[in-house]
Amino acid sequence: MKTLVLLITFLALTGCGGGSDSNSNVAPENSSSDSPTSSTGNNTGSQPGDNNEQPDNTDDTNNDQDSGTQDDIGVAPIVDVKTPGNIVRKGATIVIDSVITGDSSELTYVWTQIAGPAATLVNSNSPSLTVILPETSSPNQDDLVFALTVTNNEGLSTYTEATIESVNAMSELQAASLLQQGTLGPTYAEIQSAAGKSEEEWINEQLEMQTTYHMPFLENYPDKEQPNHINRIDAWWKASINAPDQLRQRVAFALSEIFVVSDANSALRGEPEGMTTYYDMLLKNAFGNFRTLLESVTLSPVMGVYLSHLGNEKADLEKNIRPDENYAREVMQLFTIGLDELNLDGTKKLDNDGNAIPTYSQTEIGGFAKVFTGWTFAYSARWNRPSKNYTLPMQPFSEYHSSQEKHLLNNEVIPAGTGAEESMQLALDNLFMHPNVAPFISKQLIQRLVKSNPTPAYVQRIALIFNDNGTGTRGDMAAVVKAILLDDEARKYSSVFEHSGKIKEPILTKLHFWRTLNAASQLNRYYTWNLQSTYGQGPLLSPSVFNFFRPDHKPSELLNSGLVAPELQIATDSNMISTTNGHYSDLIWRMAERKNTLNPNTIYMYGAAQISILESAGLQALLDHYNIVYFAGSMSDATRNALVDLDSYFLNRSPADRVSQLLYMVSLSPDFNYQN
Amino acid sequence: MTTYNDKSRRAFLSLCLKGGASVAALTSLQLHALSNTLNSTNLTDYKALVCIFLHGGSDSLNMLVPTSGQYRTNYEQSRQNLVVTDAISLTTKTQFEGGVGLHPSMSSLTPIFDSGQLAFVGGVGTLMAPTTLTDYKSKSVSLPGHLFSHNDQQATWMHGQEKISLNTGWGARMLERLNQHSSFTSNISLAGSNPWQTGVNTSPYALSRSGVMKINPLSGYQPQVDHVKGIIDRLLANTNNPIQDAYANRLGRSISNVQNMNNLLEQAPTLTTQFSDNDLSQQLAAVAKSLSIQAQTGSQRQIFFVSLGGFDTHDEQLTRQPALFSTLATALSEFQSAVNELALQNNVTTFTMSDFGRTLTSNGDGTDHGWAGNQLLMGGAVNGQDLHGTMLDQQVNGPLDVGGGRLIPQYANEQYFAPIAKWFGLPESEIYELFPNSRNFDTFAMPLFNM
Repeated sequence: MKTLVLLITFLALTGCGGGSDSNSNVAPENSSSDSPTSSTGNNTGSQPGDNNEQPDNTDDTNNDQDSGTQDDIGVAPIVDVKTPGNIVRKGATIVIDSVITGDSSELTYVWTQIAGPAATLVNSNSPSLTVILPETSSPNQDDLVFALTVTNNEGLSTYTEATIESVNAMSELQAASLLQQGTLGPTYAEIQSAAGKSEEEWINEQLEMQTTYHMPFLENYPDKEQPNHINRIDAWWKASINAPDQLRQRVAFALSEIFVVSDANSALRGEPEGMTTYYDMLLKNAFGNFRTLLESVTLSPVMGVYLSHLGNEKADLEKNIRPDENYAREVMQLFTIGLDELNLDGTKKLDNDGNAIPTYSQTEIGGFAKVFTGWTFAYSARWNRPSKNYTLPMQPFSEYHSSQEKHLLNNEVIPAGTGAEESMQLALDNLFMHPNVAPFISKQLIQRLVKSNPTPAYVQRIALIFNDNGTGTRGDMAAVVKAILLDDEARKYSSVFEHSGKIKEPILTKLHFWRTLNAASQLNRYYTWNLQSTYGQGPLLSPSVFNFFRPDHKPSELLNSGLVAPELQIATDSNMISTTNGHYSDLIWRMAERKNTLNPNTIYMYGAAQISILESAGLQALLDHYNIVYFAGSMSDATRNALVDLDSYFLNRSPADRVSQLLYMVSLSPDFNYQN
Repeated sequence: MTTYNDKSRRAFLSLCLKGGASVAALTSLQLHALSNTLNSTNLTDYKALVCIFLHGGSDSLNMLVPTSGQYRTNYEQSRQNLVVTDAISLTTKTQFEGGVGLHPSMSSLTPIFDSGQLAFVGGVGTLMAPTTLTDYKSKSVSLPGHLFSHNDQQATWMHGQEKISLNTGWGARMLERLNQHSSFTSNISLAGSNPWQTGVNTSPYALSRSGVMKINPLSGYQPQVDHVKGIIDRLLANTNNPIQDAYANRLGRSISNVQNMNNLLEQAPTLTTQFSDNDLSQQLAAVAKSLSIQAQTGSQRQIFFVSLGGFDTHDEQLTRQPALFSTLATALSEFQSAVNELALQNNVTTFTMSDFGRTLTSNGDGTDHGWAGNQLLMGGAVNGQDLHGTMLDQQVNGPLDVGGGRLIPQYANEQYFAPIAKWFGLPESEIYELFPNSRNFDTFAMPLFNM
């Protein structure tokens, strides 16, 4: 980006005689300032505008206003500067040219840098300045300001400034690091495409990209007239593997682990359209507003069935029937505020006795339970004849909605007689405005995308953005996601943070391999039946509303460390073995290049690109490639050496065999499984 | 680059994996040697505890219901459309006003009950101190945190104490106190990781339902397997931070545990007892298989964890609850038959836990999160054919109702746990350390075991 600031021309006089013949072009003889904007001579011709760097001889300037109008003064050089026209990247070498209108002979040039991180200036006394811009030190752009003073042989000077905005040009490793947090497992093509861009450019591109919804991928089960549960999984694979809007897909997956619904062991297994619609709803709202997301979740008939507020009725005291409290409880505990009052940085508030302070009691649960009465499937003919429409938001039947007053958080009360729709709006507003929401949701999103143990300061920075995106909007999810990924604790430019990563989720490691190896079956089916029992998780397959793992899970190995590792909650012996067996089956048994014939139903991995690297450039080149694609730069020497030694056993096998064995060992290595 | 080394783990691994990756790495003799190395306390007998966790909060006040008199009237008034009819009247050693009726879906338990191998524990729940309705309303006694919340109340049951900074489960703490935690075979879960079995130095070995698990990369041509196993060991020894190390630890331990367990299970005898296809029966079948090889594992104390989900009956309780109770009863009776077949009935005790009881009031076709409930305790050592504790008067707005038919427990769950821990071999002096709140109660008020 080019920003040219032609500030002012100083009409400087060295005497009434129309200038001297001195060639003095550097230090002014009577400068009242060492500012680079000081002009030659002690008289400046005009007020230098709003330039902060102006000389502080303002009085002189004012006093000399009249002298500037004299007829016999000389003319200072007319100077413009020309900066590079394209986006300027950090670490680049650029040239800033001066452009002189009129006589350009016998001019002297002085270039200096007056703002921004220190750059290296070359040829600073020539018409063209060469600048070697500083390397990347933060995800933000650098603003550098350069000043040029051009003086003619009469001692008349002109001062100009040029601002250079230099943005990051991610290396492949930096891009890989960002994309492992912001995609479902980056392919090399995606990394190459992101490299050279700044983090913010890549994120902005992703934010603006068209949403890839999953419903178009939901096919009927073969020879049936409707989709089966497995077709929902099939659609998830197809979209997740191929969608260009990877950041949205990743965030939606993260949201599916906060706003949990599941058909793993419920009647929802028979509603693949409903389940897919729910996932699409998460995709749609991933970069929207949290308040809208919360309402969409609340009114989803799938959620209504899962947490039983669909069909929930007002109290009937004669029959000892009260409203169902399920959704009332979980919307608070899991979807918005959690159990304990939080500081903005996500730590618990404590009372005078050092105890956590509960966010709600049975009173509020009872209140919210009344709020969520009277709702059922959209366009139901009657309350007791529900339409079973699993894709449209629920609609209320006023006669089944509790008309009693409803106690909300912070002692707010919805007055008696308030209707279903209005009560729901008031209740969700009440939740949305609770101060816990920002740290509660921000921290979990950080944990899903970046690291298990964010510092309180990181949580607070994101929570502040959640509360106000900079233009006064609360709950702007795009701003939150962007801030999470651009934060120094995620990008790690300036500091080294302890425990800066997380264990990768097993289903995401599988997906990463499938994306990089173009996993496909000839029939274009991804029927993966046993995801939960093999990987301990799968899309919308949680065993309960508490997700596969809790955000505060501490495995026994870390009990004394103060660290959590949520993903290790599912790292049981059987899950660990079945996960590694699953990788073995994918990467070794189903590597297409190792087969003579392919079964049309079977999902194969296609390793051609990697095999080609191995054949043409050798093992080290392939490991360099893996270090970028799978390790985002964190392949240690020990891991590399182990992979070299592994390969030594397979040297006389086919290149496809060797790639298979290497990939499998990558899949279980600690360096790969820790997203750093 | 720092490499974190957990010495005991490395030592254990190197012991287990002596001889490289050979699947038949360990003989039972070697395992004996191993467990002797690790177990410093020499217990003379064998005991196992099987926890059945009923996930979601079982409406166990509908499992045992009054059959007559004012209690029955109160019950029917409270429960309305969710009333259990045709309850099986049990003959208990202790007499209870209104009688004790068992849910008709659990009829398969009556022979075990009548034989004295089954008892119920009534009116039990999470408490920190004896609590009356007045105490509750005036907040004059400490209450368990986050009553009526699933995962918190599950945790309170499994921790056996209120949440503290270092949370461990009481099952794991017992093993650690008895120095029985070092051998993975002492701590087995059929239902994944859980707080009850997670201690400072122990977490459960997750056994698959089918028992034997093949490890693909370590099956096949032995020289290749040896080479691959060597590389895996090198990779797992190379970690750079505690979280990564925890991952490597898990994977390394999984491999060695599975290999060892496979070897043992291959030697397991076939039982004549048949187990049903339902999930809980299959979990308990795997427990029975493990019990059958306990002599080879060398563990003198074992804890097992199985679970049955679906008890969060917010809706359709009238159809869901009978199915759940039937599954539970069937699985329990099959398991006790298998234990009897193995002649381990005096060595194995099975007990239930659940998040909480449920509300007496209905939300139309289901119930919400409540508090007090009833539990089952089974085994040859159990003081059976009785109900310990109390049959609660199921009265909405009665003297125990804190609102909506959530009843205050009359016995703390720690009063339920303490006799179990004592039977398992913990000295009484340590019970109070194990269950800090049990001091506030008559700890051994319920004679749960024949001692």
